[in-house]
Amino acid sequence: MSQKEPNQIRILAPRDVKPKLDYLAREVQEAVGQPISRRQALSLGGLAVLGLSAAACGTASTGTGGGGSAAPSGSTGGTSLAGKPIENMLEIFNWSEYDDPSTYENFKKQSEITAAGTQIHETYYSSNDELLAKMNAGGAGYDIIVPTQNAVAQLLQENKLMKLDMSLIPNISNINASFLKTNFDPTGEYHVAKDFGTTGFYYNNTIITEKLETMMDFYNALPKYVSKGRTNVLDGAEEVVPLALLALGLDANTDKDEDFAAAKDLLMKIRPGVTTIVASDYINDASAGKIILGQGWNGDMRRIVQARKAQGDITAINPTGKSEIWADSWCIPSDAPHPVAAHHWINWLCTPTVAVKEMEYHNYPIPMQSAIDQLGPELKDDPLFNVPTSLTDNYEYILNVSPEVVQKRTKIYTDFKAAG
Amino acid sequence: MTVDTAVPTPEATTSGVGRRRSFKPRYPAWLALPSLAYQIIFFIGAMSILVAFSFATQTGFNQITYGFSLEQYKQVLDPTYLGIFARTLAMAAGGTILTILVGYPVAYWMARYLGNNKLIALLLIIVPFWTSFLIRTYALKIILDSHGYLAQTLHVDLMYSAWAVGIGLVYNYLPLFILPVFSSLERMDWTLIEAANDLSAKPFSAFRQVTLPLTLPGFVTGALLVFIPMTGEYVIPAILGGGKFVFIGNVIGDAFNSAQNPPFGSALAISLMLALSVFVVIYILVATKEERFGS
Repeated sequence: MSQKEPNQIRILAPRDVKPKLDYLAREVQEAVGQPISRRQALSLGGLAVLGLSAAACGTASTGTGGGGSAAPSGSTGGTSLAGKPIENMLEIFNWSEYDDPSTYENFKKQSEITAAGTQIHETYYSSNDELLAKMNAGGAGYDIIVPTQNAVAQLLQENKLMKLDMSLIPNISNINASFLKTNFDPTGEYHVAKDFGTTGFYYNNTIITEKLETMMDFYNALPKYVSKGRTNVLDGAEEVVPLALLALGLDANTDKDEDFAAAKDLLMKIRPGVTTIVASDYINDASAGKIILGQGWNGDMRRIVQARKAQGDITAINPTGKSEIWADSWCIPSDAPHPVAAHHWINWLCTPTVAVKEMEYHNYPIPMQSAIDQLGPELKDDPLFNVPTSLTDNYEYILNVSPEVVQKRTKIYTDFKAAG
Repeated sequence: MTVDTAVPTPEATTSGVGRRRSFKPRYPAWLALPSLAYQIIFFIGAMSILVAFSFATQTGFNQITYGFSLEQYKQVLDPTYLGIFARTLAMAAGGTILTILVGYPVAYWMARYLGNNKLIALLLIIVPFWTSFLIRTYALKIILDSHGYLAQTLHVDLMYSAWAVGIGLVYNYLPLFILPVFSSLERMDWTLIEAANDLSAKPFSAFRQVTLPLTLPGFVTGALLVFIPMTGEYVIPAILGGGKFVFIGNVIGDAFNSAQNPPFGSALAISLMLALSVFVVIYILVATKEERFGS
């Protein structure tokens, strides 16, 4: 099943630039013969959008994010749905190609769903900004959405998520306990984990022979080995600064000035050791053996290691100690028209047999031990796919805590980049 | 009957009898409305929003309160951003000089020596423009790459250096400089050079005293046409500079996108425009000079 991955192209981008991006993706991929990952596509999309709108400077000002000032719909739900009938419709708003086609077919084949005659209608979005904009516009009529942690936190703050009726989701007991209550949903009542990823680093083991284990080891190795080849750190204010904080053992979502000062010190100290700061196209360069030391997301690093299998010269590390984790979650909007069907959908996705098919399809780990145990060895035994819970328990979700925090991160990030 | 025209401008009424030739517009003024409306909505309108944003204060992610606050402009004066402004202008100036050094000789050669092949040469200059800007930059990356042709055969590894960014700038903006210079060189009367030679001017002084002054308006137009967009460059430094060469365009992009802070992004954009208006004034001075002394 997972063998189809090398030929698969999965790109997520704003819909209006899709034709342009498709063309670009083909060009870039043909040049190197590598597909683009989910997160890379996001940054590439952003790049393309800015490229397109560079001339018309006014277009960027149409705020896409959470501009809604306290929308009228504000009920947090919480009423028991037990005993209510399953509706005949299920409206899903999702990332495209993010679930196995058989998941939908088999969901409808369950006896109680067949009895209710539930039909599924799915539409797609390509960024959390797009999802938030649709939710803020109100009256979207979705039953299921799949926000990333930041968007969950923001929607929760705006009272736009329904408190889940856990009596309708008994299968949540399959989900690993550490994914239930999180910093973006402290009570764990508004989301169910869909899948997750982590940030680590990789290095050329013919050049770097010492053992690097923590994110701090990575930073310290940068100035030491930069003369031997290209080094890379992940781009973006929301990556650069929180990852440095985590390496220092500090809270990734801190708002303390002394923490930011410490992160800035570390970043400026290792800055001479950084050749490039990119997040959009490091996978191709690393697969071609051009990067000797770099940060990467686990799914991307898995591809890099696979691409360098013949040479065997890339070692990828899930850091011990602190690092980043991200997760996409199943949520139900507070005004969902078909909440019972939505609960049944989430419960269905928490079934181990379904989760196995899902993981084989999208190659992102679902935090469900009983499902992971059933996977083939190429996924189950690969720590870059099946990142051990003992490690992820130390990892932190990076959130846009407040505009002030984001501003401080952005300032340090700009200083870091400009100090060339 | 003749006085009763549709457009009763003063000139029309008074000159209607005495003079046959009329200077009144041949088409009604309202025909300009579509383009005027376009300008107002998409230029003045967008600019006004940007100005309003820049004086507003951020109250949440992509949430702002309008008012008159100079806070954002104070932030622009932070050494970090002033440094990036200076670097952006320096990189754009360097890119413009490189473009002139490469572009002027090409335009000169085309205009003076190509005869009937001029159009083909012009076409070859423009053809790369038919390809997406982003793809051209990625294509350049393949050539400049440390494992690419240039580095492997000539042992020149320029990737992720200021030179790579400079080469990217020149490559992408070259046609914008060549075209105006070419058109002013093409209109030049080359017998003037013969006359200068007859008057015992050496080739270089003939160029300096005749060709250069006559093509100066095209030269300045071309230089500004490449310099101004270069200062707003976003993609080239990100791709060819490996994210290490921050242009003010990148900072503006970050302010709007990742920081979700339109007021600060707008203040940066307005400041950049103010800085650039100096160069536009130079252009206007040169352009009006041409009108006064031109043929």
